Amino acid sequence: MARIGVFVCHCGENISATVDCGKVADTIGKLKHVAYSTEYKYMCSDPGQTLIKDAIREHKLTGVVVSACSPRMHEPTFRKACAEGGLNPFLCEMANLREHCSWVHEKNELTTEKAIDIIRTQVEKVKLNSALQPIRVPVTKTSMVIGGGIAGIQAALDIANCGHKVVMVERSPSIGGHMSQLSETFPTLDCSQCILTPRMVEVAQHPNITLYTYAEVESVEGFIGNFKVKIRKKAKSLDEKACTGCGLCTTKCPQKKIPNEFEQGMGMRPAIYVPFPQAVPNRPVIDKEHCTYYIKGKCKVCEIVCPTKAIRFDQPDEILDLEIGAIVVSTGFDIKHADFFPEYGYGKYKDVIDGLQFERLASASGPTAGAILRPSDGQVPKNIVFIACAGSRDPAKGIAYCSKICCMYTAKHAMLYKHKVHEGNAHVFYMDIRSGGKNYDEFVRRAIEEDYVNYIRGRVSTVYERDGKLIVKGVDTLLGAQPVEIVADMVVLATAGVANPGAEELAQKLHVSYDSHKFFAEAHPKLKPVETNTAGIFLAGACQNPKDIPDSVSQASGAAVKVAALFSQNGLTREPLVAFVNRTAPPMYSTCVGCFLCQSVCPYQAIEREDFKTRDGKIIKTVAKINEGLCQGCGTCVALCRSKSIDLYGYSNNQVYAEVVALLNEF
Amino acid sequence: MDNLVKRAKELLENKTVQVVIGYEAGPTGVIRPAFITDPEKAGKLIYNDKCDQNLAVYLTKKEVKNFGKMAIVATLPVMRSIMMLISEQQLFAESIVVLGISADGNLLDIADINIMQGYIEKSDLSNPEKYKALLAELNKLNPEEKFAYWQKELSKCIKCYACRQACPMCYCTRCTVEVNQPQWIPVQANTHGNMEWHILRAMHLAGRCISCGECGRACPVGIPCHLLTMQLTDQVYTYFKVYAGTSDKMNSVLSTFEPNDKESFII
Ligand SMILES: Cc1cc2nc3c(=O)[nH]c(=O)nc-3n(C[C@H](O)[C@H](O)[C@H](O)COP(=O)(O)OP(=O)(O)OC[C@H]3O[C@@H](n4cnc5c(N)ncnc54)[C@H](O)[C@@H]3O)c2cc1C
Ligand code: SF4
Ligand code: SF4
Ligand code: SF4
Ligand code: SF4
Ligand code: SF4
Repeated sequence: MARIGVFVCHCGENISATVDCGKVADTIGKLKHVAYSTEYKYMCSDPGQTLIKDAIREHKLTGVVVSACSPRMHEPTFRKACAEGGLNPFLCEMANLREHCSWVHEKNELTTEKAIDIIRTQVEKVKLNSALQPIRVPVTKTSMVIGGGIAGIQAALDIANCGHKVVMVERSPSIGGHMSQLSETFPTLDCSQCILTPRMVEVAQHPNITLYTYAEVESVEGFIGNFKVKIRKKAKSLDEKACTGCGLCTTKCPQKKIPNEFEQGMGMRPAIYVPFPQAVPNRPVIDKEHCTYYIKGKCKVCEIVCPTKAIRFDQPDEILDLEIGAIVVSTGFDIKHADFFPEYGYGKYKDVIDGLQFERLASASGPTAGAILRPSDGQVPKNIVFIACAGSRDPAKGIAYCSKICCMYTAKHAMLYKHKVHEGNAHVFYMDIRSGGKNYDEFVRRAIEEDYVNYIRGRVSTVYERDGKLIVKGVDTLLGAQPVEIVADMVVLATAGVANPGAEELAQKLHVSYDSHKFFAEAHPKLKPVETNTAGIFLAGACQNPKDIPDSVSQASGAAVKVAALFSQNGLTREPLVAFVNRTAPPMYSTCVGCFLCQSVCPYQAIEREDFKTRDGKIIKTVAKINEGLCQGCGTCVALCRSKSIDLYGYSNNQVYAEVVALLNEF
Repeated sequence: MDNLVKRAKELLENKTVQVVIGYEAGPTGVIRPAFITDPEKAGKLIYNDKCDQNLAVYLTKKEVKNFGKMAIVATLPVMRSIMMLISEQQLFAESIVVLGISADGNLLDIADINIMQGYIEKSDLSNPEKYKALLAELNKLNPEEKFAYWQKELSKCIKCYACRQACPMCYCTRCTVEVNQPQWIPVQANTHGNMEWHILRAMHLAGRCISCGECGRACPVGIPCHLLTMQLTDQVYTYFKVYAGTSDKMNSVLSTFEPNDKESFII
């Protein structure tokens, strides 16, 4: 016979201020099957837990109802206490008297009655609880890092240095991401390439890291510790083993007029190319969209000049099947380009450029070898205007958020300009200067005070061309919104950081959520900033929201620790509150009819098929089967199944029915 | 229907199928289902406007499936039922031959599923006219009157479950009403429990009912329970622009989500 213990918590005064806890404990104590009922000020405290443990032994309890707060925080606490008292932890239930009762009602009789009702449902439920055992799932100790920017590189190196295998999948021909395009980096102005390239090389050479560039994730199935991933290695039209990286092909390719992505369109590249001299791997790929051979069917100059005969025009894409235990998503971000801004000429003025283009102009390895020359005529701009918040914090443009990095890189750009063009004038239009961060505000002050950059607080309404000059019209809000007009030679827009193209598609493949701006969503904004809502998939870097390098790197190390922590165990245990499809004796095998409508509603792809066969292999019946590793116990399938062939451990139809009946019945 | 008989005979003779499911006239002239396995008996098959039973219900019955490959005389509702059964994985397209019957009673040449799909798509899939008229009458009532009407009708139900047995979409190995842990639907017939049963049945057929009216015809006490499922057919069409049984690959409307689905029915 059931012997239930009920423990009513005051939660300090959170519950007892409106609920008469003494009366509740008394009334519940008189219910049939309740062997013990008591109240206490803080049930979660050590003495409170001891109370529960002692009562389990003393009163030989077969079930416990802790009537306190939301199970979200303390269910694990009380389950553990029960286990220590010798009761299976899943024979413990919580009645939520705080969020569901005391916090939402005034102090009176009815409130106390409602508290009693809530507890009665749980007493009825716990009578039907069964002792459950945690589920063990194995873990494949290989991780996958998607995206080889600085965040991905850091995560991969950290995981690899913990002794675990890493597969890095990078979409472009080289790793490095946006950081490889930067000239110098705030707040220290060290050369981006100099700090990045050694790490890129380390990735390529690390014995624990397998690098796939020019590759994309095709599909992801499975669950934490046990993902099954398909990767498409796009054909580079090259035998990478044979190629020595001499680069002869890239110099001989007759097709030379393709806008260079790495130079942000400010230079040209051939159809067979290495994106930049420090690329890792330093091997060319053929851009099939522009290669004369792929377009017209003849050319093959590269094949003729290649000394090691490494060119393979007929190479197909390759699909790799991998078993992966954990995934780090570090696919970075993109920026809006000048063509997004009608007020600044829709990108039709050559000398209105974006921040990344400026980085390339300022870079020693860029198209101008580091000289600040304007794109239209190659002249040194004498007057330069930087416009911060171009697109960001502008709900009218659909981007309400702050892109976070622009204030800092705009100060950097102005500074770099002043260091290179001593006699020039740099003006910055800004809304606010957001320079929170170690040595960040000092950096901006240096730009203003030591490099005499002219900061104007106000927005620019329009930029237009007159007599070969760019007229920038704005206001200075610190001078009472006085109109300002600057005749500039060049304008640099600190355009909004946005999600990478393809982020949404990737998120859908991974079954992780993303926000309305298509940035990947963390599981909790404060307490789980590195996790996604899918167990075993973590985030690093600017794919979550625009971030600078220090933030990207710290988050990457955070993600790496999550992966390493997962891999430090030989298997995972998880709560056994999962669905199951019933099994009956042959010839029925299960009451499931195999309509598989449940498959289409399961948000976690947890429903599989199981065949029952005769001895000679003939299929008698195919029914649904729940993958316990994947099922999150949401119960959607239970509600859907017409024949009620699915049920949920811990929240069975019987239990929920008993709860409802308890409420309907007088007591 | 010489064509039908000829074709059935052929199929049985050359062993393309082992059974032909169709209609025959019983000893008193009442139309009844026929299961012809012997080519010599194909001559019994008839088709006329009294042949209105939805034969698709037999396609999932073990006793019939055990014959082997099946041919079935199929009017539009039967064809739509077949689509539903395939899409819900209760039937394989390879295991049947469809002897389609057009609206004017002629044998159609349905060589494969795609042709059948084409035929269905060309047809009017809304509820049959006579039921539309009945529904229109009912929908004139206000909610209280409607409730009173159904309460009165359903109080007659004796829970024989003939409506369920007659419906091709009620193919469950075990129906919810047979679940007793917990006992969702009471065993005995009483107005309250009868209403629970009918709400449950209607919801299970929402977006799946193909408007054959068989459940209503089967009811021994004359409850027009088909109007419940047909009303839902109308509603599903209004909200999602989908009729059941139009393709062998269709997703169940009520268990799939499209971002542009209307949610105006959520209160
Ligand atoms: C103009 C400008 C100046 C900046 N200056 C500074 C500075 O001075 N100091 C500073 O700290 N920060 C600076 N930043 C910010 C810095 O660029 C970012 O913090 C950093 O690049 C973020 O790194 P990441 O690895 O998260 O993303 P990214 O650098 O964007 O790298 C993402 C990588 O993932 C790859 N990828 C994308 N999608 C896929 C996919 N589906 N599959 C596989 N691979 C994929 C991409 O090809 C890329 O290699 C600046 C940014 C801009 C725009
Ligand atoms: S468990 Fe239910 S919904 Fe799922 S396939 Fe079986 S009968 Fe259909
Ligand atoms: S309970 Fe939820 S997660 Fe588990 S199988 Fe059912 S629908 Fe999927
Ligand atoms: S009423 Fe529902 S559970 Fe019963 S047979 Fe029909 S569809 Fe299945
Ligand atoms: S009308 Fe009745 S028998 Fe026909 S499909 Fe609809 S519910 Fe089933
Ligand atoms: S056939 Fe008629 S009497 Fe029988 S269960 Fe259905 S509605 Fe009730």
